[in-house]
Amino acid sequence: MVRKITNLAVTLAMLLSALLLALGGCPGDITNGNGETNGDGSLEPVEVREYQGENLSSVNDFRENSIKGPQYVDIENYQLEITGLVENPASYSYDEVIEGYKHYKKVVTLNCVEGWSVNILWEGVLVSDLLAEAKPLPEAKVVIFHAYDGYTTSLPVDYITDNDILMAYMMNEIPLPPERGFPFELVAESKWGYKWIKWVTAIELSDDVDYRGYWEDRGFSNTADLDEGFLGR
Amino acid sequence: MRRATVPGLVRRTIHWLLLAVTILFLITGFGISEFRVVENITLGWLTKSWALRLHDNLWIPFVVLLVLHICLPFVFKGKPKEVEL
Repeated sequence: MVRKITNLAVTLAMLLSALLLALGGCPGDITNGNGETNGDGSLEPVEVREYQGENLSSVNDFRENSIKGPQYVDIENYQLEITGLVENPASYSYDEVIEGYKHYKKVVTLNCVEGWSVNILWEGVLVSDLLAEAKPLPEAKVVIFHAYDGYTTSLPVDYITDNDILMAYMMNEIPLPPERGFPFELVAESKWGYKWIKWVTAIELSDDVDYRGYWEDRGFSNTADLDEGFLGR
Repeated sequence: MRRATVPGLVRRTIHWLLLAVTILFLITGFGISEFRVVENITLGWLTKSWALRLHDNLWIPFVVLLVLHICLPFVFKGKPKEVEL
């Protein structure tokens, strides 16, 4: 009798796991970029899936794993703050960032600690250009990024400047969808996905080299280098 | 007085352990992909980083127990020796 119950329980657990995995493994599609028409009759931009001979993932290949779900930023009231240890603290609207700085494109792969990855063509401005305008003080060693949902992460100033790190507003030639971080997502290449902060609202220069962001404070590596494990201090 | 056999006890223990590990494997898997829900349900005990740590290492006991679960009936094919519980 006990054996029958055990076998039944194991079978049920395995069936349940298969069902849940099937349900959990279906990321929702994003409507942007499907070639639909806008209200004025113009076509929606369509994402590219190949760039200079390289195959790209789709904007729908991401899994939603933000701390509070997708954020819908009101772009009319949006301001990107550059604060902290800088000579010239600044505040930019979305258009001021897009129109005021040179654009760059890069194909970079995002590797998530959950085991999935996406290869995307990113377009954005260099964070180092924004920093150069703000003139970081000599004691500024760390850049702390703040997001609309309260998420934070940090990266060394040297990493930002040495690697031409982008703050993207386009992916696969379409504007960043809200679910992917509109208006700006950091393209923290060669770092684990939790450094790729979405919905960036502020860039703070700090001398606190021990600063730990949201996931880093919960046991993830602060360096987050892809060639190292993501767990541990 | 209930009577059980040593092989029966071992097999039953392995069945229950396999069930426990399977459920833990599931929960930690969801602790990674659905961390917001799992963290709330477990009152913050099972964080995403803990779920990742556990999930990454659970496959070893899972495979061992699964192999034992499959193979033990063939190992204990002889007449079982009864013991008093």
